[in-house]
Amino acid sequence: MPDPLLSLLLALFIAALLAGLFWPQWGLYHRLQRQRRQDDRVLREDALKHLHRAQRYGRRPTLQSLAGDLQISLNRAAHLLEEMAQLGLVGVGNGDLALTPAGAAAALHIIRAHRLWELYLAEHTGFEETEWHGRAEQLEHAMAPDDLEALALQLGNPTHDPHGDPIPDAAGQYVAHGGQPLTTLAPGERGQIVHLEDEPEVVYAQLAALGLHPGQRVEVIERSAGRVRFWANGDEHVLAPLLALNISVQPLPEPAAAPAPIVGERLSDLRPGEWGEVTAISRACRGSDRRRLLDLGVLPGARVQAAFASPGGDPTAYLIRDTLIALRRDQAGMISVVKSQ
Amino acid sequence: MTASSSALNPPRQSAATASPDDIFAAAQSLRWEVGRDFHQELMEAIYTDAARIADRVVTRPEQKPRFDLDRTIDRLVTSRLWGFPIMIGLFTLVFWITISGANVPSGLLNDLLIGLIHPWLKGLAAAAGLPWWLDGLLIDGIYLATAWVVAVMLPPMAIFFPLFTLLEDFGYLPRLAFNLDALFKRSGAHGKQALSMMMGFGCNAAGVIATRIIDSPRERLIAILTNNFALCNGRWPTQILIASIFIGALVPSYLAGIVSALAVVGIAVLGVLLTFLVSAFLSRTWLRGEVSTFSLELPPYRPPRIWQTIYTSLIDRTIYVLWRAIVFAAPAGAVIWLVANVTVGGAPLAVHIVRLLDPVGVLIGLNGVILLAYVIAIPANEIVIPTVLMLTVLMTGTQGAGAGVMFELESQADTLALLQAGGWTLLTGVNLMLFSLLHNPCSTTIFTIYKETGSRKWAAVSALLPLTIGFIVTFFVAQVWRLAAGV
Repeated sequence: MPDPLLSLLLALFIAALLAGLFWPQWGLYHRLQRQRRQDDRVLREDALKHLHRAQRYGRRPTLQSLAGDLQISLNRAAHLLEEMAQLGLVGVGNGDLALTPAGAAAALHIIRAHRLWELYLAEHTGFEETEWHGRAEQLEHAMAPDDLEALALQLGNPTHDPHGDPIPDAAGQYVAHGGQPLTTLAPGERGQIVHLEDEPEVVYAQLAALGLHPGQRVEVIERSAGRVRFWANGDEHVLAPLLALNISVQPLPEPAAAPAPIVGERLSDLRPGEWGEVTAISRACRGSDRRRLLDLGVLPGARVQAAFASPGGDPTAYLIRDTLIALRRDQAGMISVVKSQ
Repeated sequence: MTASSSALNPPRQSAATASPDDIFAAAQSLRWEVGRDFHQELMEAIYTDAARIADRVVTRPEQKPRFDLDRTIDRLVTSRLWGFPIMIGLFTLVFWITISGANVPSGLLNDLLIGLIHPWLKGLAAAAGLPWWLDGLLIDGIYLATAWVVAVMLPPMAIFFPLFTLLEDFGYLPRLAFNLDALFKRSGAHGKQALSMMMGFGCNAAGVIATRIIDSPRERLIAILTNNFALCNGRWPTQILIASIFIGALVPSYLAGIVSALAVVGIAVLGVLLTFLVSAFLSRTWLRGEVSTFSLELPPYRPPRIWQTIYTSLIDRTIYVLWRAIVFAAPAGAVIWLVANVTVGGAPLAVHIVRLLDPVGVLIGLNGVILLAYVIAIPANEIVIPTVLMLTVLMTGTQGAGAGVMFELESQADTLALLQAGGWTLLTGVNLMLFSLLHNPCSTTIFTIYKETGSRKWAAVSALLPLTIGFIVTFFVAQVWRLAAGV
């Protein structure tokens, strides 16, 4: 019989070895994969996006900004730019870095790929919304134009990604979202969210945690140097102005003209026995989740009663079109209702 | 749909002169004007129209009184106070009826198929002058394995499945899923997994089929891959036998029954805990990106249609599962007989394989006989113990039913004596109980998983995942046990 202590130690050693190799994030296998992602083509495409973004927002791209964005050394960034200039993608006109027409077209192609993938991840997979951007960053590279068009066709040639960014069409044409930062609205003014900035991830995660999505209507209650207080998604939210800058809105007409109150209730707010009339399903509810709700008859105008909750409080059974359907709280939270008798 | 009105405006070029490319370009530029979610809005409008039409033309019979009764039952079975006691009570009852009700018919079938027909067939073969190997292969191998599976498997299934279907038919099971959903949600699973898990306690193959009620792809895969952790009907007898002869023997005889019963329940509970753990692991790793939705319909209660239920559950579940088990058991019977009777270098093949597997087996607190038994008895967990006994006899050279002939002993003391002669200790017993819970599902279940998922990959994962966990758990138990015992 093998010595138990020896075999135990050996087994623990093997376990540690396997963990070191395959642990998510910092395992050797994943590190190597990340490294491979840093190959020249990927860097080039990321550089194109950086230059395009800088131009779009009227900033001056520099060697430093490029190296910082791509997380590479200045030497490598310089080498990269040299290579891209040789390929005719970047020009150095009057001392500034600028995309050539070929470079701009290539940049739009990669941006189209990125936004289509984000939409695909939102509509056809179960990944969390905070993961869409990061995963699209990996999927966007090495897309042949034909594959990209097939993806666009599958998604129904969409015009906007889930964050509200316009998706350039195959010819590179697009119309900007045209919103203004939330911080520009005065107290009492209303707007509709048209865009949420998905970078950096930490900031976006905070906006996603509030349940904010393009298409929602907001009303600013208070605006000061330290914070912005506003109604959205049936709740009152407070954000630092720096975060609120990442929300773009289109101003709506004066409150008096707005058809429905923004301060609405959600299906999850109904207490057992209460009735409500569905007004909308949040845009955050996408893909098969949304189709399921429509299949069940959760439609604007439908009357729904909260029947009873399960012993743990979640899920709750709702009476929809004479049928008892149990929905979880996060699902019911996506459905706006008006309480009725 | 105000946004779409601009799309309906006349195109910017007259139709007579426009080429298809121009039309495409015009359509492309109009896309930006129709609003971002026009697909969604269109779909919603179609649904709303459909609902309006249905409301106008469909008349419903008045069902008010039934409806109130339904609500009263619902309040009771989903109440904080009574929900769980009712659930535990009902399932204890179902299991008790199954176990106690299956004993008698199982014994009768055993007497008939193995006690009566087997010797009769042997006599017939001898009279017909069949060569010994053909007689052994057909009757001791194929017939005996098949008969064993039928005798042990048929009665509990014929009782458990109809009872389960009655509860389903009445409308109680969806409420059970409703009550337990919060628990399953934490591990990224669906409340309906409670039902496929319960079904798994009867038979894992039937449990895997039962996952069809879960309509969300990710949750369904989780339920399929973890169903094996529900201790199936074929493994309960092994657990009970080993627990009584090894663990029950540790305490005074008046406590033996309760202690061994607790040990078996402990293993079943460990299986349930692992179901949650592995579900959580799967939903956070391999299955993270799979599409996941939730909805659970709570249909109205209705009086169960007893005869119809018994008929359909016998045909759909019992006969189906039994037939598949027989299909797999027959060739396994042949293999079991062959490894014990084909000799290489003067010793049966089985002896060579057992010696080969012994180092691994001993390392994880089992032995080569058990490992070989689990390999060749893969069609049905029911024949693992008879195979173990047959192989132990073969290895120790004591008196059994003959090479390649599976058997069981009447008395537990005799079984214990035989196993101890084969080198078994308390550790072997404990680890066999663990390994019986944590090993690959039977071939019927693996095949069913392949059929249901349509993927070799998931069938392989479903077999290798519990097997790996089994090796790891038994290995660590064995080492720690030996360290603590100072062996």
